[in-house]
Amino acid sequence: MLSKRNKQPGLLTQLIDVLLIELTNWRWSWRSMIVIGTLSPVLSMVALGVFARDSGKVSLSYVLVGNVVLAIMFNIMSNIESHVSFMRFHGMLDYFATLPVRRIALIPSLVTAFLLISLPALAATLIIGSLLLGVPLHISPLVLLVVPICAMPLAGIGALIGAKARTPMEANSINFLVMFLLLSIGPVIVPPQKLPAVLLILGRVSPATYASSALRQVLLGPITGQLTIDIAVLLGVTVMVYWWVSKAIDWRQ
Amino acid sequence: MNEIVYDIQDLVKRYPGQEVPANDSITLQINQGEIFGILGDNGAGKTTLVRQMVNLLRSTAGKITLFGQEISKHSHLVPQYVGYMPQDSEALNNLTVSEALYFTAHLRGLSRADARKERDLQMDLWQIRELHNKYSSRLSGGQKRILRLAVAAAGMLPVLILDEPTNDLDPYKRKLVWEVLRGLNRDRGLTIIFITHDAIEAEKIVQRVGIMSHGRFVALGLLGELKKIVGHKMRLELFFAPESPPTLPSTLSYREIAPGRWLLLVEREEIGALLQSLPLDQLDDFHLYSATLEDIYLHYAIEKK
Repeated sequence: MLSKRNKQPGLLTQLIDVLLIELTNWRWSWRSMIVIGTLSPVLSMVALGVFARDSGKVSLSYVLVGNVVLAIMFNIMSNIESHVSFMRFHGMLDYFATLPVRRIALIPSLVTAFLLISLPALAATLIIGSLLLGVPLHISPLVLLVVPICAMPLAGIGALIGAKARTPMEANSINFLVMFLLLSIGPVIVPPQKLPAVLLILGRVSPATYASSALRQVLLGPITGQLTIDIAVLLGVTVMVYWWVSKAIDWRQ
Repeated sequence: MNEIVYDIQDLVKRYPGQEVPANDSITLQINQGEIFGILGDNGAGKTTLVRQMVNLLRSTAGKITLFGQEISKHSHLVPQYVGYMPQDSEALNNLTVSEALYFTAHLRGLSRADARKERDLQMDLWQIRELHNKYSSRLSGGQKRILRLAVAAAGMLPVLILDEPTNDLDPYKRKLVWEVLRGLNRDRGLTIIFITHDAIEAEKIVQRVGIMSHGRFVALGLLGELKKIVGHKMRLELFFAPESPPTLPSTLSYREIAPGRWLLLVEREEIGALLQSLPLDQLDDFHLYSATLEDIYLHYAIEKK
């Protein structure tokens, strides 16, 4: 009787339960997440919009969409980095490690939870930004697919930083640096015509460049063949980063 | 003969950058249905050992098998058989008591309906039903510990490993914990392994004891067997006003266990003469009884240093 064991829960059960557990983060932090997650990109839009106003509609559209990417970074990448780091240093990973939860279930559940929690801030950023900058929105239904695809690789990078950093403070510093780099290299906030060639070349290896391109197409139009390339690159980066994260988050020390 | 639950052979754990191993050459078997207590002073290697046993720490050498299978090669084993309560954890802070128990039971493979029943059963067992809607982060230290115990027990796995289950608890809750653990062992045959500093209370339920010092077991055996080793000694506790300690014969050695409280371990045959020589007018009270688990712990872990 003693060596009887319970049936192992299926992967879907693991995913749903971990997602529901992670969604409870919303209980304590929803106000700050909406306020900070909206305020930071909106302030950035106001500042950059002042300079971009004279440069025409294209520049303004880059400011708008670039700041939606910034909002994804603030709300998903940064929060996941902090959360993974918190999990490592406060015993939460130990809790999951001693339950029949596979590592592969943890990251998708985390990303989904933080994506859902971040949706109000993302929507607020987009609407306020559009009104502030006077950039009309032409939202495609594909946005429902593209936003999660843009969030996944950035979330994975956040999780990787949280999993690898030696301390939570180190994780926050690295995350800030990476965010700054991803926004700076490639045409994310600034149009390609105004970027030096070296940043354009470097931007080709940044997922933020492809996220910005994909979002620009589904939020402002028109949708071109580039969207397929953007989605393919983002999914490719997601697979690579998730593989790395699943190796980095070792249950055992 | 009982099945062997844990078989630990020549286990070593050396943390990076540390010359002295945290655990060294530990060999131990835990039988099914046993209540095994691990005692030892701070830094003796107790928590390191149980974290190795639940596969949260990679061992430097040696092996641990659980129900005959090596845990380092079969990572699914511990989650399926062992409920673990860490010493400290903030893992469930965002959840209510009810949610923490439900999700744990469900993730341990119970159906939704069974997980709900298990949640209710555990809340009644540990007397935390009135806290069901309270967030874990808002519980007191003692309530959090009781919740962690209930979470470890949720799903009724055959083995429970508990790291200091009664720290922070008031006397009533400590009694409850030992009673519940004894009940789980008696009624459901759970194998229970726990670390404690609370040697006197642990004696109420423990069957076999391991005393650790400097990463090794310095004593390992049935409580009765270990008691025999120090059993010829009697425990004499003296109580007095801390500001005016009594004057004892110079041949007696004592240990201060609290201000105004000394402990003497005395040979049985010397008791009569000792009582004659005690300065009773300088004492508030004295207690004399046979050796306890605490004496065994003190004998091995501290006096043999």
